[in-house]
Amino acid sequence: MIHLRHFAGKLILGFILALIFQLGNSAKAQDGKALFTANCASCHKVHERMTGPALEGVEDRWPDKKKLHAWIHNSAAVLASGDAYANNLFNEYGKVAMTPFPSLSDKDIDAILTYIKSVPKVDPSKKDGPTAKAEGGDNTLLFGILTLILAVVAFVLLQVNSNLKKLSDDKAGVPAHEPVPFWRNKAYIAFLTIILFLLGGFLVVKGAIGLGRTQNYEPKQPIFYSHKVHAGVNQINCLYCHGSTMEGKQANIPSVNVCMNCHMAINEYKGEKLFTAEGEEVNGTAEIQKLYKYAGFEPGKAWDASKAKPIEWTRIHNLPDHVYFNHSQHVKAGQVQCQTCHGDITKMDEVKQFAPLSMGWCVNCHRETKVQFKDNGFYSIYEKYHQDLKNGKLDSTKGITVEMIGGTECQKCHY
Amino acid sequence: MKKVSIITILSAAVILVSCGGDVKRNPGSVYMPDMAYSRAYETYSDHSNLEEQGIHYNNRPVAGTIARGEEMPFPLQKDAAGDTANYAASKQIQNPLAALDAKDLKEAERLYLVNCGICHGTKLDGNGPLYKDGTGPYPAAPKNLMTLHMPDGQMFYSVTYGKNMMGSYASQLSRKQRWMVIHYIKAKQAEANAAAAPAAESTDKK
Repeated sequence: MIHLRHFAGKLILGFILALIFQLGNSAKAQDGKALFTANCASCHKVHERMTGPALEGVEDRWPDKKKLHAWIHNSAAVLASGDAYANNLFNEYGKVAMTPFPSLSDKDIDAILTYIKSVPKVDPSKKDGPTAKAEGGDNTLLFGILTLILAVVAFVLLQVNSNLKKLSDDKAGVPAHEPVPFWRNKAYIAFLTIILFLLGGFLVVKGAIGLGRTQNYEPKQPIFYSHKVHAGVNQINCLYCHGSTMEGKQANIPSVNVCMNCHMAINEYKGEKLFTAEGEEVNGTAEIQKLYKYAGFEPGKAWDASKAKPIEWTRIHNLPDHVYFNHSQHVKAGQVQCQTCHGDITKMDEVKQFAPLSMGWCVNCHRETKVQFKDNGFYSIYEKYHQDLKNGKLDSTKGITVEMIGGTECQKCHY
Repeated sequence: MKKVSIITILSAAVILVSCGGDVKRNPGSVYMPDMAYSRAYETYSDHSNLEEQGIHYNNRPVAGTIARGEEMPFPLQKDAAGDTANYAASKQIQNPLAALDAKDLKEAERLYLVNCGICHGTKLDGNGPLYKDGTGPYPAAPKNLMTLHMPDGQMFYSVTYGKNMMGSYASQLSRKQRWMVIHYIKAKQAEANAAAAPAAESTDKK
């Protein structure tokens, strides 16, 4: 009994010791994580190369722990000492010098190294992505079949009806006359002609109005670029890529270097599954690879921007040449939101033309929209209106519409 | 014969009407193409074969010219790979803009939020929506601009030519805008220091 108690005491002591050790170890890894994020993470990842090499197994690669510490404290000094491994490393990574960290103590560095060892490697193939979106379900086929069945039933019933009538007529002794087939029945023909005329007229007029209008146009782009992922989920401002909207007539299409600002580091897509408008699944990481092909970039190596080729995006919003439209006038002077004309871009994977871009649509907006008159230098020249607003001659709640400052004059847009 | 043709026309009409709801991958046609397409070369028209047509047009500003209202060019070139001489020398260059007034500071803030805030955070704390404490898509930790002690010139060098994982912003921000953003960052840092200093004093007194 005493023996057993002694043993239990030993066991508990050992357990407590192990727990303390474990806690101490994890505390060290915790510190290491904080230090790693604060000092190393802007250039290094644990399992992937970025500006600097992947840090997994860094201790095994360096011949000597002291030298690794010296390198972290001051890399230039190690390079100057002529160390072969250090110089090779320096050359391999495009001669980008590592920032010296003289403030990190040896203990700190050990904590970082412990943290690096504690990060498990994630196998990308085994990663369970977010569950697939439930299929929306297209009921068109079902409805089609249903309509067909009903039509056949109706036809059969009509046949039955006419046969029964014939039988009853025979019985009643009504002389059967040769029935007129329906394609020679004048009432049928007149009815059909009117229907066809109306339908044809409708289609012709609709087609003629639609000529040159591209509402809902949703072309396939050379890269499946999702505005929903960039502007919606990741909250990138529209003007980050389309910055010249504030300065010029055109909203610019971003060049490859703007994509590469982020995609030099972001080389895989980990978000929700992507689908084309037709419902095919898209591999986001493969689309980023397409960008790298245009940019002439290989992950992990320094990017030479001069090797990039432009991506030929398909332009969606086109106005005919006889209309003048200026983005900066609307966005900067008029302070119109992008979404007013382009729709909820932050929810579109593939962008489609939201507005009809017809003249009626333009003029309607010009009639209804109030100009941001207050504290807006662009409209300071309309002195009379400002005066009238002050005097109360004009209702300030109604404000000044675009039409009142000439927004519906022909030559404002056509010249 | 008549029957067949009537049925064909009808079914064709039905098909035409019912096919309207699909994904529109084709822009359709225009009327009067000579009024729809510009004869002059517009911004995003095809410029690739101008040389073949005998048009010698280079859409770049003439070398050595400066646009009106734009700042003087930065005197330092980008360092060659492995060289840091110009990066070090950029410390000496002063911000050519005078301190910003409230209106310009607001514009600088807008530029910062559009172009920088996405990584460096709206509070300049290096934790923007793309990084989000490491849960965002951007794998590298952006610099905390609040604690970054970098001279104006070196900041300009980094924004113009890029640094580490950060690309060049020369195509997105004009020289003047870049200097404005640097002023904004410095103003924010000074504000935080001013707020921290009295707080530290008051704790000292206790």
